[in-house]
Amino acid sequence: MKPPPFEYAAPTSVAEALELLAVHAQGEARVLAGGQSLVPLMNFRLAQPGHLVDLRRIEELTRIRAEGDTLVLGAMVRQSHAEHAPEVALLAPLLAEALGYVAHPPIRNSGTVGGSLAHADPAAELPAVALALGAELVVAGPQGTRTVPAADFFVGAFSTALEPGEILTEVRIPRRGGGHAFVEFTRTHGTFAIVGVASVIEVDGGGVTRASIALSGVDAVPVRAAAAERTLTGTVPDDATVRAAVDATVAELSPSADVHGSTETRIDIARATLRRGIELALTRAQDRR
Amino acid sequence: MDKYDVTLTVNGRTSTVSVEARKLLVDVLREDLGLPGTHIGCEHGVCGTCTVLRDGASIRSCTTFAVQVDGSEIRTVEGLADGATLHPLQDEFWDKQGLQCGYCTPGMLMRACEIIEQNPDVTPEQVREGIASNLCRCTGYQFIAEAVCSAAARMKADADAPRGARA
Amino acid sequence: MTTTDRPAAPPVRTHKQDRTWVGKSIRRVEDPKFLRGRGGYIGDMTVTGMLYAAVLRSPHAHARITGIDIAEALASPGVHDVITGARAAELCDPLPDFGPDPTKHTWRCLAVDKVRYVGEGVAVVVAESRYLAEDALALIDVEYEPLPALVDPERALADSATLVHDALGSNCAYERTFDFGDVEKDFAEADVIVTDRLRWRRSGGQPLETVGAVADFDHATGRLTVHTNSLSFTSYLFMVAGTMKIAANKLDVRPVPAGGSFGSKLFATKPAVIAGMCSREVGRPVQYLEDRVDNISNCDHHGSDRVYDVRLALMRDGTLRGIDIDTIEDYGAYIQFGVGHHGNALAQVVGPYAMTSVRYRVRAALTNKNQQGAYRGFGSEVNNWMLEQIVDKAARELGVDPVDIRRRNFIREFPHFIPTGNVYDSGDYDGVLDKALELSNYKHWRAEQAKAREEGRCIGIGLITAQERSVFSATEFWFWFDEPAAPVTSMPESVTLKVDATGAITATLYSCAFWGNSPETMVAQLVAEEFDCDPHDVSIVYQGSGNGLPATGPGGSRTTVMLAGAVEGATAKIKAKALRAAAHLLEADPDDLEWADGGFQVKGVPEQRKTLAEIAVMLHLFKHSFPDDMESGLEDSTVFDHPYTTMPSADRKDLGVFYPFMGHACHVPVVEVDVETGAVSFLAYAAVHDCGTLVNPRSLAGHIVGGTAQGIGTALFEEFVYDEEDGQLLTSSYLDYLIPTAMEVPELAIGHHETPSPYTLHGIKGGGEGGRMMAPAAINVAVNDALAHLGVRVTELPITPDRLRAAIRAAGAAREAR
Repeated sequence: MKPPPFEYAAPTSVAEALELLAVHAQGEARVLAGGQSLVPLMNFRLAQPGHLVDLRRIEELTRIRAEGDTLVLGAMVRQSHAEHAPEVALLAPLLAEALGYVAHPPIRNSGTVGGSLAHADPAAELPAVALALGAELVVAGPQGTRTVPAADFFVGAFSTALEPGEILTEVRIPRRGGGHAFVEFTRTHGTFAIVGVASVIEVDGGGVTRASIALSGVDAVPVRAAAAERTLTGTVPDDATVRAAVDATVAELSPSADVHGSTETRIDIARATLRRGIELALTRAQDRR
Repeated sequence: MDKYDVTLTVNGRTSTVSVEARKLLVDVLREDLGLPGTHIGCEHGVCGTCTVLRDGASIRSCTTFAVQVDGSEIRTVEGLADGATLHPLQDEFWDKQGLQCGYCTPGMLMRACEIIEQNPDVTPEQVREGIASNLCRCTGYQFIAEAVCSAAARMKADADAPRGARA
Repeated sequence: MTTTDRPAAPPVRTHKQDRTWVGKSIRRVEDPKFLRGRGGYIGDMTVTGMLYAAVLRSPHAHARITGIDIAEALASPGVHDVITGARAAELCDPLPDFGPDPTKHTWRCLAVDKVRYVGEGVAVVVAESRYLAEDALALIDVEYEPLPALVDPERALADSATLVHDALGSNCAYERTFDFGDVEKDFAEADVIVTDRLRWRRSGGQPLETVGAVADFDHATGRLTVHTNSLSFTSYLFMVAGTMKIAANKLDVRPVPAGGSFGSKLFATKPAVIAGMCSREVGRPVQYLEDRVDNISNCDHHGSDRVYDVRLALMRDGTLRGIDIDTIEDYGAYIQFGVGHHGNALAQVVGPYAMTSVRYRVRAALTNKNQQGAYRGFGSEVNNWMLEQIVDKAARELGVDPVDIRRRNFIREFPHFIPTGNVYDSGDYDGVLDKALELSNYKHWRAEQAKAREEGRCIGIGLITAQERSVFSATEFWFWFDEPAAPVTSMPESVTLKVDATGAITATLYSCAFWGNSPETMVAQLVAEEFDCDPHDVSIVYQGSGNGLPATGPGGSRTTVMLAGAVEGATAKIKAKALRAAAHLLEADPDDLEWADGGFQVKGVPEQRKTLAEIAVMLHLFKHSFPDDMESGLEDSTVFDHPYTTMPSADRKDLGVFYPFMGHACHVPVVEVDVETGAVSFLAYAAVHDCGTLVNPRSLAGHIVGGTAQGIGTALFEEFVYDEEDGQLLTSSYLDYLIPTAMEVPELAIGHHETPSPYTLHGIKGGGEGGRMMAPAAINVAVNDALAHLGVRVTELPITPDRLRAAIRAAGAAREAR
């Protein structure tokens, strides 16, 4: 399980990185972030890039900052850095909570926020969080910079709106009030989730004014629990409302079976996990008032 | 394939090696730097056997290319003991039989080192969750967790002791 | 065989009462090197000029190899050789094989004309680094003609169109039915017959270190030296030499520490043979070390994979009479150890219960999976699980309390011969149960369970009582056959003790270096007990097979008892010589001397004494101070044979004594089942074990917790899943083969109970297989206890969320249908 050979460069600016990707476009150049998904794939020889452009020396990509009420994370911010950063706790506590579920601390010490989003594993935590929070992903390319809403970024399993030669540089996350919750179901601690649920629910006088809920693991891309959001919004939710919200969403799901669960079991687990996520977010929202 | 110069400060000693970009950190430590204490378990980042500290933070050396950590400070199990004197973690692992076959032990020790350095007041529950990053096939973890807790207590007592009282 | 014509048992021993070192949880003498990262594992070994081998694995479950093109791989940078299966078959004979008929299910280090499972090796590359070797693997072009894959053992037995081995003519490698005791009578007289169908799916030892070897063939001498972390090469060296087509006295296998085994490194010959073959071809030392995917998919040591149809005959009051077991075992593509797994089961087939008859039908199915080998329990843990499930089912059907049904049937007189002919040497099952009930806070949890049920929560308590046989003897490998090919009767273990001129003691061990158990600590404690020294001052070394004494190695929890016997024997010889020397030096009659405090002294005159060091220096350096017939030095060895083996009867209605030192345990896990997701979590876990006299209680506790953690894996998480259609291995990495972490394994409350064996030194029994013997049974019982009120009973391991949810859904549907 040794990786195949490749050429390597560690540029110090985004411009330089883009140039390297362009120059080596024919040599199957890829971006290397923390490597916690890519290197295992290379060890299995399931990925064989000819050239890796390591972004670790680009300092501007390693910073966390607040722009007013927007949290801005450089793509190369290590997951453990973000997990414990005060700006994240303040502006996006859902993200901080979700980061605690990403594999294990030694993985998070290398893995990056941008790397996880760009890898777009259907079972991963951060894509669902980005979707729930309405994050914007800033992409640099040969033609300049563009911003892609999370809802448009994830296009398939391990597939994103990033074009060849483009680099995800930044994630911008608007602050959300209310109660948040990240819950997931894994078979053993730290392994890939069967289902993850990222929720932010805002309440006013007991009534839900806005609910943003996303699920991971139920489709090729993270999905919004739109039916649940609609069902909850405008109500003072009781158990029956929550159950109806969950049922409305679950009725639309058709997760693929795999070695860890049939479609039916995955739906069962999604049902329970979604309900627990909503309940926790609601409880926290009500506690915060 | 081209070779790349990689400079690492491992257990306080700085060396530069010239390696292929694809060479994994664990192989550079074991083969190029003569430090076989860091073991290979799964080579896909799950088991934690290859755990070392990079600039004080635990990482998987089997899913890290050495070129990625050029310029870093690395600590491995070989850097724990001070000559004949075992590190408190090593001593407590010995006392509590926190090892059987010893294969996961170096990675487990380095992870435990990070846990205690990050939180000298770590609770037994936090220790258990903390070491869940590393698999052990022999012990069932119980005596490892005990050993880490008692090492933490010892290290804290040593740190809190008045300067003159320290050995 | 009747009681009267049973061969006599060995003499009952009187055990030393005041022990100094045996029974103490001393720090292990092995540990400092491991704590410092200087374990010296096989992967740490480098030899000048060493090359690296990597094996190309089959992507197909079952296919004919119609062509292999290695030209590109041979031209790849750094490559020294590429050996295909066909060439390997010319270079080496088939691998050592204890299966029913090795000529009809021939097993080689690389597949020749057909691959029989995903992962089977088809070629090996030797190159200057493992990286370069793997680069070349990608350039080998193999043409396959896929064949239908056999995955289900019952279907494989029924299928004669598709054969795993054409030469065998069927997919059944072995079938036989044994009757022990009067089965017909017990079933005729029974009030109730409870039936069950159970399915145990395969998992494996998965030590974190894979299997490997460094081989160096010297063309000048014709000698092959192999360093490996596998074992048992001393006794069976000649078989490996035969595979290599060299004389046995030209092969030296040297043990290195193993980073865990749990059975899976037991006589794992394939890596050694591949490395040896490559070394001989390229004329350089070669390392072949499996990577993780090799170890999962091509390791030859997957664990049991069984289907059971069972009938239990019992009386209405819960008295157990007889059991009728019909089992099919899925051995995968080869069957290296025959059905030895069922010998292990037959050693303790009735558990701790006084049943009078057993019918045992075993069928060995061959399928397109990695072959089965050893995994902690070697099939007896599966029997424990089966028996406890059906006893539990019987209790539920009869409305008998699960504790009461067990206690009612306990064997209480020892030695006790079970219907198969094996003996239980000693035991105190009531004592263990009482301790477990207390330690587990059983009554408290029953009350909690009732409370929880009112809240809609599902808590279950899984009390089981089960056996842990120890110290196998050789007969269990051939009593399956009326005319066995090799009816061996000995699997000894040896120790050499040397007292040097300073009086310091070195013990030499011969079977394996170390594989996570504590042979050095244990031998050091036993030597210290004999010689009144500090165990940490005893030096332990390992000898290669080349000039080793007979030895078999760990397996079936035999190491401690066997090494203890060897230490005792060698000690007696050394003390006899030292006594004679001391008598000479003290000018006293040997009969007037006694051993005390590390030396010989005149009885009643402690000042008239010679310490061992004083005797040793004289014996080493002052030959002329002694009678002419005394040789210099103070060193001796004992080859210790199994202390209690008897032969099976010719009709195999009695298998004789083959696994006599019977441990026992009671496990009480308390689980909570999340019915919505099918997740199982632990609220508490108590385990009380009785392995006779303890040598190092903390080490044994380590086996209890560690084995329980593995049992939790078997019960809930771990499974080698092969696709039912195409035979692909769906769990080929740790991303899908899920090993429990510290968060899945609860804190155990551990209790020890000590019922000495009457037949072994100090009354020691083996205990190395620990908690894995009991945990799967106990957890299954606990889950069923949690869900019984919902009409759910799980009969298949591992109890994954998927299986549990399916069972809960089915029970719900059944309830709605009523």
